[in-house]
Amino acid sequence: MFALTLLNSLEGFFFGSGKAHVVTGVALIILAGLAIALWRMDRRLSRLEAESKESHR
Amino acid sequence: MNGAWNWIWKGGGIVLLAYVILRGFSTPLQPGLVTAAPSQLKLGMQTVTLTAAGQPFGKEGASLSEFTVVLRAGDQLLKTETQEVQPHGITVAVNVPGVLPSRALDAFVFTPSAGTLFLGNACFVEEAAKGDIPTSYVANKPDESTPQLGFSFPFQPNIIESIRNLLWHVPMWFSMFFIMGLGFVASLGQLRTGKVMWDLRAEAAVRTGLLFGLLGLATGSLWARWTWGAWWVSDPQLNGALVTVLLYSGYLILRSAMGDDDRVGRLAAVYNVFAFVMLVILLMVLPRYTESLHPGKDGNPGFNKYDLDNSLRAVFYPAVIGWGSLCYWMYTLRLRMNRIAYSLLSR
Repeated sequence: MFALTLLNSLEGFFFGSGKAHVVTGVALIILAGLAIALWRMDRRLSRLEAESKESHR
Repeated sequence: MNGAWNWIWKGGGIVLLAYVILRGFSTPLQPGLVTAAPSQLKLGMQTVTLTAAGQPFGKEGASLSEFTVVLRAGDQLLKTETQEVQPHGITVAVNVPGVLPSRALDAFVFTPSAGTLFLGNACFVEEAAKGDIPTSYVANKPDESTPQLGFSFPFQPNIIESIRNLLWHVPMWFSMFFIMGLGFVASLGQLRTGKVMWDLRAEAAVRTGLLFGLLGLATGSLWARWTWGAWWVSDPQLNGALVTVLLYSGYLILRSAMGDDDRVGRLAAVYNVFAFVMLVILLMVLPRYTESLHPGKDGNPGFNKYDLDNSLRAVFYPAVIGWGSLCYWMYTLRLRMNRIAYSLLSR
C-alpha cells in the first residue's frame, strides 16, 4: 500500500491516509450534488415566481 | 398538528445526519495489518517490519514479551522474536529455514489488548524448498486475547478507513429505493384515478430519486477506484444500478418529448411502473444470483451480517433514516414546485 503512495500525488492522497480521503471525496461529491440540485430548484422557483407575477398583472 | 410533525421529521433528520457525520468521522478504526517490509525474504536470519492502520495496537512502553508474531506457511507456524513495538508497527527477527510447506507466508500478530491481527500473503520466500518446517523453527500457537477496543469500526483489508463510506454511499441507494417506491405508488394512483395530482407526485419522486441514484453511482465509482482499482468494473450489481438510472432518465426524456400532450400523465405512469419493476429485478433480485465484487452476496445486496457489526449498525441505521428524510424533504419541495407550475399552467 505504501509503495503505491509514491506513484503519483493523487494515488498518494487517497492511499496514504489508509484510504480515509476516499471518504472525504465521497462526502464532497454528495455535498456538491445536493448543492447543484438546490441551485437548479432555486432557478426553477425564480422562473415560477416571474411567471406568477406576469399572470397576476 | 401537521406543523409539529413537519418540524419533527425535518429537524430529526438533520439531527440524525449531524450525529452520523460526527460519529462516522470520529470513531476510530480497529487496528489491522496493511504491509510487511521486506515482502521478499531470503533464507536465514533477518528482520521484518509489519505496519498497521487504524487505532494503535501497542502502547508506549509495552513489554516486548506481550507481543508475539507468528508466520504461517501452509498449515505450519514459523516462530519469530519481537524486537520493537510501535503504536502502528512491530519489528521482528525471523530465521527463515530452507524448507517450507509454502512460499507464501501469512503473518499473525498476537497483541495483549487488540486481539490478533492478520495479514495474508505478507511475505514470500522464493528460495525455499517444499517440505515441513524443521522442528527447531516451529512456533507454538500463542494464546489469543479478547480485543478491548471500545466503540470502533471493524477493520477490513483493502477497504481500511474507507469503511466509513458505508454511511454515505449506501444510504443514497436506500433513499433512492424509498423515493422510487413512492413514485411507483403515485403512478399506480394515476393509472387508477387518472388524477393529475398523482402524476405531479410521480414526477417529483423520479427527479429526486434520480439525483440520489446519480450520487450513488458517482460515490460508488470513486470508492471502487481505491478498492478494486478501476472507476468501473463490469459487474451485475454495478451494471444493474447503471441501467436503473438510465431507465429513469428515460422517464424524464419521455415526459419532455411528449410536451403538453394530454396523454403524458398516463404514459409516464405506465413507464414508471415498468421502471420500478426493473429496479427491483436489477438491484434486488438479480445480484443475489450472480457472482460479484460488490459486498453482500449472501441474500442481501448490501453488506452481509459479518461485514456490518454492531458499531457500524449504531451509525448506519441513523444514516439511512437521516438521508431518507432529507431525500423525502427534497421530494416535497419538488412536489410543491410542480403544483405551483401546474396551477400557473392551467390558469
